[in-house]
Amino acid sequence: MSGSRLISVIGALLGVIVFFALIIWIGGQMNPDLQLDETATLRYVFVGIGMLIVFVIYWLTRDNDAWVVGTRQVVYMAIGAALYAVFSYLFNGTVFAVPSASQVSLRPAIAVPMFFGYVFGPVVGFFTGAVGNMFGDALTGFGLSPQWSVGNGLVGLIAGLAMLYKDKRRGLNNVLIASAVLAGIATLLWVLNPSLSNMMFFDVEAGIFGDATISVFAGLSAVVGLVLVVLVRYLFRDDADIAAAVTWAMLGNFIGIGFAAISDIWINGFTPAVAIVGEFLPAAGPNMIFAAILVPILVRSWQSLQRQTGR
Amino acid sequence: MLVTWRFRERRSLIQAFDPTAWLIFYACFVASTLFFWDLRVLAGFLLIAVIVVLTSGVSWRESRRAWLFIGGFILFFAFLTFLTGRGGIEVYEQERVIRTLRAPFSLFGWRPAIDLTVERAVFAMSQMARVFSLASMTILIPYSLNPAHYGVAFRRLGLPDKIAYAMDLTMRFIPTFGQDFQLTLDAQKARGYELEKLEGGLVTQVRKLAPLVVPVTVHALAGSEDIIDAMDLRAFGTGPRTWLIKLQYQPRDYALMAFGVLLFLVSMAASLLGLGGFWVPPFMLQAFGF
Repeated sequence: MSGSRLISVIGALLGVIVFFALIIWIGGQMNPDLQLDETATLRYVFVGIGMLIVFVIYWLTRDNDAWVVGTRQVVYMAIGAALYAVFSYLFNGTVFAVPSASQVSLRPAIAVPMFFGYVFGPVVGFFTGAVGNMFGDALTGFGLSPQWSVGNGLVGLIAGLAMLYKDKRRGLNNVLIASAVLAGIATLLWVLNPSLSNMMFFDVEAGIFGDATISVFAGLSAVVGLVLVVLVRYLFRDDADIAAAVTWAMLGNFIGIGFAAISDIWINGFTPAVAIVGEFLPAAGPNMIFAAILVPILVRSWQSLQRQTGR
Repeated sequence: MLVTWRFRERRSLIQAFDPTAWLIFYACFVASTLFFWDLRVLAGFLLIAVIVVLTSGVSWRESRRAWLFIGGFILFFAFLTFLTGRGGIEVYEQERVIRTLRAPFSLFGWRPAIDLTVERAVFAMSQMARVFSLASMTILIPYSLNPAHYGVAFRRLGLPDKIAYAMDLTMRFIPTFGQDFQLTLDAQKARGYELEKLEGGLVTQVRKLAPLVVPVTVHALAGSEDIIDAMDLRAFGTGPRTWLIKLQYQPRDYALMAFGVLLFLVSMAASLLGLGGFWVPPFMLQAFGF
């Protein structure tokens, strides 16, 4: 990145932060009873924080080829985002009645940013998750949750950080340990608060509208996902690509969905336990099942396609 | 094969403006709507959306499926909100019960009951107005914006060439992949695949989704080689991009953008002043004796 462009990016990010800091300060002066969580302002603040995280990751590793964006990456970004939008729209439960088990809804779309991030790099992964989620919400009419779009972008971006390493096996154990720690913290919070509601589960026929007590399976889903990922790594220990894909996808999922869920502590006024147990676990845990099953299948299919086309 | 959105030239309010100006107004409109739960304010946003819809020139016949889907979705969720108050607990604290519906059965001594409250009813109406405003403005975009203008419109929003072109391609790919999915689903159904009847444990069910997700994804990637080659042959990304179409802002476009930005700033200021929060019409309270 050239010096002038870097200054522009830093200036823009600082400008956004100063703008919202001023808004919050001026808002406090104008209205002493201001409850920021009752305004939409915090959503945009968290978009800024998310973009800042992305920029810091980029800046720290900017010399790596993983950040290069050529023609190929532009096309893959578009394909990834369009596929994520289409699958999100089709599998959100309104178009196809996709089954669920023990409060765990099936959302296969999340495998798309994980796969595109891992195979084509962090820029493609971020674009796929963030823009795909935005278009998916627009197609469904869900409205706008920009901080969740950034969270989905982070899923793809972190999965793509595997590309920073020439040797795919390098750093994998650290990634696994970091993921295990995050899964452990979230599960511990569930153990301490087992009566909280699963806010991501709806079953109209059973009269459940995000208010049912979280099931044992949903509460343990992050750990179940972790075990599945470890199992896949063991079963495919000779295929570095699959081992790396599922492991990085797991970390991306925990960080990306965690970012979005934690932002709701401020945006929606949730307690940390509600955000983690009621939102993070039911969303991020089941995603791990897709990371462990669909991502390896997609990686294998991509390897075959590469062999066929010679590219 | 690239399938396109149902765009065509129409005599419409949207197409009277520059696409970039309209996208800026759309973004400001959507962002502004999120600041409010006051039904009176949301009715204003709804009115703007209805005017845009009625002047869009998009006929019921060509957009019927989209409206029925979105309409059904909005009504369904508004009804859920009315029954359960989901989402509302964050914007109101007190609930005035109109009636309690009790189930005619009990489970282990617990008899399920649903409280119908004034606040839930008003919140459902507010949610319906808000989501309908957002959805209807969104539905019109693919019918009204010329696909040939996507890239240049995003570029003029200040996005770098490559990101603008990626956004352009994303919008173009969505209908194509939607059709690819349908074709794949039909082909799998012909082989006995039933998406609605996936059986087995959770892992088995996830694995059974692969015959849909994988072929569509791999087909998209395989087809991308032609697009990449075509772009490379035209020296894509080797220098600053020029666009075949030149768009010029007219005075009305500046007016629309100014209106959009003003709407956003006023909405934000109102929100910070504590205005536009959840509001219950007094006549509803009187009608139910509160």
